[in-house]
Amino acid sequence: MNASTETAFAPGAIVHEQYDDATQQREAATLGMWVFLSTEILFFGVLFASYTILRILHPQGFAVASRHTDMPLGTIETAVLLTSSSLIALAVRAVRLDQRRVAVWLMTGTAALGLSFLVMHGFEYYKEYTEHLIPGIDFLQPGPQSHAVELFFCLYYCITGFHSLHVAIGVVVIGVLATRVSRGTFGPQRYTYPELTALYWHLVDIIWIFVYPLLYLVGRSG
Amino acid sequence: MSAATRSSKSDRPVAPVSRYLWVLAALLTLLALTAGSALLKLGSLNTVLNLAISIAKTSLVMSIFMHSTEGRRLTFMVSLLGFVWLTILIVFALSDFTTRALVPAPW
Amino acid sequence: MSTIDAALPMPAPQGSFWSRESSLRAWLTTRDHKRIAILYALGISFYFFLGGAAATLIRLNLVEPTGALLTAENYNKAFTFHGVVMVWFFLIPSIPTTLGNFLLPLMIGARDVAFPRLNLASWYLYMVGGLFTVAALLAGGVDTGWTFYTPFSTMFSNTNVYLVVVGVFVTGFSTILTGVNFIVTIHTLRMPRMTWFRLPLFVWCMYAVSLVMVLATPVLAMTLALIALERLAHLGIFDPALGGDPLLFQHLFWFYSHPAVYIMILPAMGVVSEIIPCFVRRRIFGYRFMVYSILAITVVGFMVWGHHMFVAGQSMYASLLFSILSFVVAVPSAIKVFNWTATLRKGDISFEAPMLYALGFIGLFMLGGLTGLMLAAPALDIPLTDTYFVVAHFHYVMVGGSVMAYLGGIHYWWPKITGKLYSEGWARAAAILMFFGFNLTFFPQYILGYEGMPRRYHAYLPHFQVLNVLSSAGASVLALAYILPVGYLLWSLRTGNKAGDNPWQARGLEWQTSSPPPQENFLTAPTVREAYAYDEAAP
Repeated sequence: MNASTETAFAPGAIVHEQYDDATQQREAATLGMWVFLSTEILFFGVLFASYTILRILHPQGFAVASRHTDMPLGTIETAVLLTSSSLIALAVRAVRLDQRRVAVWLMTGTAALGLSFLVMHGFEYYKEYTEHLIPGIDFLQPGPQSHAVELFFCLYYCITGFHSLHVAIGVVVIGVLATRVSRGTFGPQRYTYPELTALYWHLVDIIWIFVYPLLYLVGRSG
Repeated sequence: MSAATRSSKSDRPVAPVSRYLWVLAALLTLLALTAGSALLKLGSLNTVLNLAISIAKTSLVMSIFMHSTEGRRLTFMVSLLGFVWLTILIVFALSDFTTRALVPAPW
Repeated sequence: MSTIDAALPMPAPQGSFWSRESSLRAWLTTRDHKRIAILYALGISFYFFLGGAAATLIRLNLVEPTGALLTAENYNKAFTFHGVVMVWFFLIPSIPTTLGNFLLPLMIGARDVAFPRLNLASWYLYMVGGLFTVAALLAGGVDTGWTFYTPFSTMFSNTNVYLVVVGVFVTGFSTILTGVNFIVTIHTLRMPRMTWFRLPLFVWCMYAVSLVMVLATPVLAMTLALIALERLAHLGIFDPALGGDPLLFQHLFWFYSHPAVYIMILPAMGVVSEIIPCFVRRRIFGYRFMVYSILAITVVGFMVWGHHMFVAGQSMYASLLFSILSFVVAVPSAIKVFNWTATLRKGDISFEAPMLYALGFIGLFMLGGLTGLMLAAPALDIPLTDTYFVVAHFHYVMVGGSVMAYLGGIHYWWPKITGKLYSEGWARAAAILMFFGFNLTFFPQYILGYEGMPRRYHAYLPHFQVLNVLSSAGASVLALAYILPVGYLLWSLRTGNKAGDNPWQARGLEWQTSSPPPQENFLTAPTVREAYAYDEAAP
């Protein structure tokens, strides 16, 4: 495989000396990224495990607490992230097909959707602040389940906080990636970084896929 | 060429746009399903259904968007590794929390 | 060009990896796995002596039953510092980042690891994490114990918990990145004919340890973050007043920290598996069983963590489950000990310093492992928890095991790394002194624990004094034994004889290149054969 094929818009891959060819290098990078994604699953997994245990200990309290979250907004946020996932997947496809402008638009769209997610979530936080739902600092929930509600919200802020941090990082990385794509750095022969970035973004989406029902949909039926 | 370390001689083929759009449609449908079913009074089935739908969505994202089933078998196994290990954490920790009342320690 | 292929032209010789581009800037921006290993070795050595200084304070304090040297709170800070530094900044990184980084590409016939820049980033993360911990010390220390149990660490301790937690969090990412690097390297960069079951057991151990690093460390990272968040922002999921559970913290903490001890012992087992066949001139006994044992330890090691919580309030059912699994996980370790011993049979044994360390490892690891089995039984663990029996057990495996193996490995590969031969006389003396000093330090602690002396107390009942004094005396011998290698090893750099490519007549690809190796690792493609082919002539 000729690793240095270059056209004006389809740059060749740079193969580092420990690799045979660009495909092996890309497969190694992809494997490495998947291993890293496994670490992220376990990183967030601690919060999911804590949630599972505490919800089993306080089922009614968690139901009461979940009803304080903004279900319509949460649902829209989920739809936004799912759509952004499809956009970045299509963007990588476009890079591989040497459709540079399409790729840049798709990536910009992904970043914009990610940003809108953060804005919506910021709005959620503000609402929770006005409703005195900040544990330890400004928490006022009357009723027998007050402690369990406070526990739920501790988890809520930890989970959504770390997730939003990952979304923010993703938005920045995708933005930088879009600029590099527009400059012609990537193409059919060289698309590892776009692919790895997309993998990261999909993971951020997957985490939210689980977060959404666990935080927003408990006890909604009454 | 290096030893037995490459299972694909060339890169993965590019999928048509339609596949991605169908997956998005499926994901949004599942989202509607999970949100809608949450409003129905199904008891513990609510949670089971929600988690099952989440697993379905995740499977779609992983297999189609992330191509986890299209590359090397190794990458596919690694893609499941985190979930399997998280299950170990949760199941074994639950073995404590769910059985405390059952078999209290004598001290 | 790529992975070493005999058909491709090889680069011309240009000196060893030490001499190519020797400015400080070249070293600090290197992508050469061998140089990164040296950078790590400097850090590891620094932290070993820092943790050792804390240990010195502890043993000096325990000479008197009144523990007058340190106040109770300062004693707490001393053992916390000792634990944090030794576990996270010495033991966990030691063999993988020094010997592992140096040898892994060489042993599989590769030019470097899969992600060299990530490798350098790992080192920087390690050093930055260490700085936070040193800062915490300078700011007055931490008194929670290295285990950070809640609610003390989250609600009541008024020491610099936050600084230490951040330091360990950062270093945790160093570990994770190293693990990612090694896993991909071993899967992707083995040279032609280097199939999985021809790999040296050291490589298998690096693979297994990388799996543990990658699967366990993220859990620690989030758990530490939760401590910090609970201290700073009162996000209290471990707070019993809210209905949270301090035991939840312990489950999360030990889910990482038990596999962490396998991060500490698996590389040591790898080193011993390399040394013994060499100085017995025989193939390792039961190679495949050794591989399956390594993998079994890796997997089952994740399912035993509750044995740290038998008295904490864990349910009896869970304790039963964890206890049975803890017995199960001892089996593969025992198989390894049997196989090392069987390798010795009818062999041509010589007692160079690496072999002395390896033999010492087998005996001390076995004692530590057997006492671990005792602690795995709840009936025995309940009276022995939080006594010196536990302290003796884990020092036998971590110091008598891992540290001995680390030193054995340093001696074994010293000629390869530096191109110089150390003084065999001094080395053997140090190894024997270390074995003697170690046992004098820690064996009395088994008896102290059995007699009921609690750990983490700065003072003790007067009738424990004799054994404590013996232990502290042993510690001074041990300290001397650790300082000696620093002396004669560094001295060998100046005056040692030049080592050839293969001074031990060992098998393994790393011995088929020059000592020290060139930056590209190999100038001619090495010959791959079955592992430990000591019954065949050297290639």
